Amino acid sequence: MQQNEFLFDMILSELEDAVGRENCSIREIDKLTHTVDYFWLSRMWADRGKRMPEADFIVSPKDAKETSAVLKIANYYKIPVTTWGGGAGSQGGALPVAGGILLDTKRMNKIHEINEDSMYVECGTGAIYKHVEWAVNEKGYSTMHYPSSLNCSTVGGFLAHRGIGVVSTKYGKIDDMVLQMEVVLPNGDIIYTSPVPKHAAGPDLNQIFIGSEGTLGVITKAQMRMYVQPEVRKFRAFLFKNLTDAFRAGRELLTKIKPSVMRLYDEAETISIIKKIVGVERKGAFMNFALEGVAEIVEIEEKILLNTMTKYGAEDLGSEYGEKWWEEKITFFYPGHIMDLPQMFGTMDTVATYSNIEKIYWAMKEAIETNFPMARFIAHFSHWYEWGCMIYDRFIVDNPPQDPHEALRLHNQIWNTGVRAALANGGVVNDHHGVGIKLGRLMKEQYGPAMQVFEALKKQLDPNGIMNPYKLGL
Amino acid sequence: MLISERDKKTIDACRFCWMCRHVCPVGNVTGRERNNARARALSLSMVERGVELSKDIVANVYECALCAACTKECATGWDPVEFTKAVRLEAAMNGVTPDYINKMIDNIESTGNPYGQTELSEELKAEIESLPKDADTLLFLGVDARIKSSRSAVNAIRLLKKANISFTVLMNEPDSGYAMDTLLGKADETKRIMTKAAGVLDKYKTIVAYDPADAKVFLREYKEWGIELGAAVKTFTGFVNELIQSGKLKPKKLNKTFVFQDPAVLARDLEETQEAREILAACGETKEMLLYGKDTVWAGNLIMNEYMPDVMKLTAKARWENALSTQAEVLVTASPSEYEVLSAVKPDNMELLSIEEVVLRGLE
Repeated sequence: MQQNEFLFDMILSELEDAVGRENCSIREIDKLTHTVDYFWLSRMWADRGKRMPEADFIVSPKDAKETSAVLKIANYYKIPVTTWGGGAGSQGGALPVAGGILLDTKRMNKIHEINEDSMYVECGTGAIYKHVEWAVNEKGYSTMHYPSSLNCSTVGGFLAHRGIGVVSTKYGKIDDMVLQMEVVLPNGDIIYTSPVPKHAAGPDLNQIFIGSEGTLGVITKAQMRMYVQPEVRKFRAFLFKNLTDAFRAGRELLTKIKPSVMRLYDEAETISIIKKIVGVERKGAFMNFALEGVAEIVEIEEKILLNTMTKYGAEDLGSEYGEKWWEEKITFFYPGHIMDLPQMFGTMDTVATYSNIEKIYWAMKEAIETNFPMARFIAHFSHWYEWGCMIYDRFIVDNPPQDPHEALRLHNQIWNTGVRAALANGGVVNDHHGVGIKLGRLMKEQYGPAMQVFEALKKQLDPNGIMNPYKLGL
Repeated sequence: MLISERDKKTIDACRFCWMCRHVCPVGNVTGRERNNARARALSLSMVERGVELSKDIVANVYECALCAACTKECATGWDPVEFTKAVRLEAAMNGVTPDYINKMIDNIESTGNPYGQTELSEELKAEIESLPKDADTLLFLGVDARIKSSRSAVNAIRLLKKANISFTVLMNEPDSGYAMDTLLGKADETKRIMTKAAGVLDKYKTIVAYDPADAKVFLREYKEWGIELGAAVKTFTGFVNELIQSGKLKPKKLNKTFVFQDPAVLARDLEETQEAREILAACGETKEMLLYGKDTVWAGNLIMNEYMPDVMKLTAKARWENALSTQAEVLVTASPSEYEVLSAVKPDNMELLSIEEVVLRGLE
């Protein structure tokens, strides 16, 4: 942000007035720690000793009212505003690439209400999801949102990027788990979405702001669904001869019952990850299920599961693998357990119908392995619907260029190639990590003229274009 | 930075990992991104890559409680506390230690405690004078209890008196070195203080460390430095539990429900979690709050209260919320530091007692 010293101080004093002096910082440490998120490029940039773009002001409002005041100031001075929750996003969505104001939501972390009648918890969107989970656990419930970043990401971060957890097949994605939201629009107006998520009172306002990545406003409060803890959670793992059989089995199973966990691994991942983590040394396609809920119903579901898997020639590997995976489901994401620098890596998750999903897998695998022989490609399929499922496909380059500019170029070339292979075969830009600055350029390739709907929303709600510039392709 | 290769590796492992964010007692109450292990590591990794180790970055290193919740949480086994302490020493060598920390370091050098006070309360002096000058067992009160939590120190003495055992307390107690270790880590100054203390304490057969912070340095840091301490060191909670189990203290059950605040040092560093619970079980009913035992949440301390008093109010309030949600009647502490910070923001609808106060009531 180019401002003279006098004007800078004027703006600073206004922001301090809005959120309190102690909650508005221009300190080096606060700027620096908001420059790197989980996006590989930001990590690589920092690793190479280069400074990522910094915000000019770090502000931490305590509620919608203070957020509103900040956005009014930003709009008046036409200063960019980037919203930061946990900073654990992988798409660069929270990076303040245009400088200006970094709005950290973590002071908005109150658990306002646990409503046992209507089965929701109302919380500030700056709350760490694990803390929300603990709060409802104390009452005997669960949010049933168990992503790998449960410990570190905020409610708002998951909403902004359409996150998902490992039991999504039964309980849904984050966008299925919201009742009402409080949103501060770029002009500072505080609005509330419909009191209930299912209605015929026009389009769903929730779904306009969920996934908008801070480009259309700031979600400050949300009512998130909670669920009764299951009486039982049973695991069962199988080994298929190939992916095709596994897809057919999974598709058929979902016409009968809804497991909570369905995770299918391609051969490469079956060998590398499952062998490393749970000790399985088998070729084929490994698939892990969890069934949960009322014990009597789960007992019946287990029979249906076994019959269906048998029909498709799957080898029953029992429950031990699944139980161990459940215990370690977050351990995968600690340093030393997952890819890390100096490796280059990325998760090009996409989602498609059963008609397209296997085609996309092979197309992406071929596109990456053919064009980038230095890259390995592994995948699993971990969120399933009646109509299709998603691919969690990853590329790994063990020895990327040391030069940061060359590394950036190769990284983006691989991403372009992978995502375009998905789009050409019926996939989408992303399944559950969002778009950010990483994939914004590909949004128009997916949406074509439909992109004008998003652009119109952006133009109307944020005419000065201050909200999270260069993200989401807007 | 002249820190160890291990510390550099830890910094690089932690710089992009947030998996312990949810257990950081400081970050959870401030909501500040800088208050977690990842943020400290990121800033220090940038220092390793050419950014100046500024006073601003160092100030943030001093916002860490050293409570080791992150260390306990790390599935890989990295220890952010180690590099945090190492950088405190590095900062001192580079002359970029914040002034308010330097003031406490100077206080330790001149008065033996970081608070710069020398006078004990009259009540505490009287209690110490009432004890024999010589005994095999020394009750080591520590600087926090002696200077900042006199009531705790007095009650600790009164409780041991009730057991009719022979023990003494030093009117001029040496500094254990815990405060300097907290502020400077493995500095020569720390070793000098610890060596001096060991010389004074060597004559006792048993040292009962009232403050878990002192027990920790006696049992861990002294060994790391190769400082011989002839005496057997016992925690106060462990010692009191022995007295109860052996029948030397026979508290009656009170009609109260207790919830225990595990001191982080006691639970995680010294791995002692059951002794206090056994003491409380002898005195009444017990409940547990969210995150207890080795998972405990640090409620604050007196050293950080000197330069971050507003944050200490928040950390203490957050723990009170956990305690209140159990609907127990009494929150019980076993650390003079936590007793004082919790006391400063005590709600009206729950009682706060130190563990010795609980037992003393049971003996009434």
